[in-house]
Amino acid sequence: MSSFKIYKRLDLTSSSCAGPIGELSGVMDEVNPGEAVEVIVADEATKKDIITWANRRRFKVVDQGQENGKFKLLVGK
Amino acid sequence: MLKRIAILGGGAAGTMVANRLAKRLYKELKSEQVEITLFSKDENHIYWPGYLFVAFNLDDPESFKKREKELLNPSVKLQTEEVNKIDLNNRTLVLKSGASYQYDYLVIATGSEYHYEEIQGYDSVVGFYDEIHALKMRETLNSFSGGKIVVNIARLPIRCPPAPAEGTLILDDILRNRGIRNNSEIIFTTPINMIIGIKEAHALLINEFEKRGIQFVPYFTVASVDPQNKVIESQEGDKIKYDLLIGVPPHSGAQVIKASEIGDRMGWVPTDKYTLQVKDHPEVYAIGDATDLPISKAGATADFESYIIVDNIISDLRGEKIKKTYDGSVMCFAAAGLGKATVFRFNYTIPPNPPTPLDTLWWVKLMYNKLYWDITARAIL
Repeated sequence: MSSFKIYKRLDLTSSSCAGPIGELSGVMDEVNPGEAVEVIVADEATKKDIITWANRRRFKVVDQGQENGKFKLLVGK
Repeated sequence: MLKRIAILGGGAAGTMVANRLAKRLYKELKSEQVEITLFSKDENHIYWPGYLFVAFNLDDPESFKKREKELLNPSVKLQTEEVNKIDLNNRTLVLKSGASYQYDYLVIATGSEYHYEEIQGYDSVVGFYDEIHALKMRETLNSFSGGKIVVNIARLPIRCPPAPAEGTLILDDILRNRGIRNNSEIIFTTPINMIIGIKEAHALLINEFEKRGIQFVPYFTVASVDPQNKVIESQEGDKIKYDLLIGVPPHSGAQVIKASEIGDRMGWVPTDKYTLQVKDHPEVYAIGDATDLPISKAGATADFESYIIVDNIISDLRGEKIKKTYDGSVMCFAAAGLGKATVFRFNYTIPPNPPTPLDTLWWVKLMYNKLYWDITARAIL
């Protein structure tokens, strides 16, 4: 478990023009230090893309797991 | 008893809802059982995708602007005084003059706002997201004789998400037509890993980029622009020198949402993805760019959403129990260069399968620029 406060939960399993990273990046812009966003994505490739993106932006992937065939990540600032 | 429906916002979303409601509720409006009032701080209605054509000198700003009053069904009341606050708990809108308006149903269609000022030096860009920057781009391109062009998406989400890629491909064709593509470089930069965040759309576009020699730079989140030395720098630590910078500004929800403290920190309204009702307020709906939904901020999204909201308000007014739900439908014609276009059509569960770009779809896109006013805004269909 982490000490990050969850600011929002995002279901990113649907199609969107911004894509999962675009939607998440928009929300991470509003997140304060010490807060995190919980995201659900549909596949492992997207999960890996988010981890790559988070590392480049120096966000922390605080937690990750799997639930009902979907992938869950906790991304903190 | 009179029921009052307030629609906040005179863009595509608000106007469609007002006109569709007015058509369906003509008996109730005539017998004064229902009142529909649209609040818009601007007397003009803008068709925002038109600025893509203005920036490339393919059309003029006047083609994409009409008086809101001319678009609204005559039975809809238009109030152009600015709304300063939405009081959801007391079902009241507070106007700039201090006057208030009580509603039974509210549709929040307040759209997006741009924030060039959030990034140092970003107001120096040209672009196709508003009239000022589109006219600046038209003028700059007119005297452009070649060099390095950087296209940048500052933040996501943005309205009309395919537009930056459309603009890049049209630009490539225009430079070729003018014989200056060989001494020009085009670089597309975005904070994410794809040109558009849907893999099927990205696959089509990256193929076009590669064919044309357009460089794609992912994971580039702009930190600042130095217009003197013509350098754009990213939060990831990369710097690119440019001769011409085409920018898509950061977006947020409307000021009235922030002032009313009814949105998230970016001013997007928390909205149920299926019912489009605002969280904890079943008599309030949000539509189009104003929502916090992870779908596309586009007029076509609002078009699909408007049918659901209109049906559900009418169903509620008539005491019916059946409610419709939104399936996440989006459709847009996207230019794939000058003279060709494709179409992105998808929903929450079915991804798009865009066809190979065709000239006929380009003509459909151009035609729609003209048909928008009647088919969509005036809601004749």
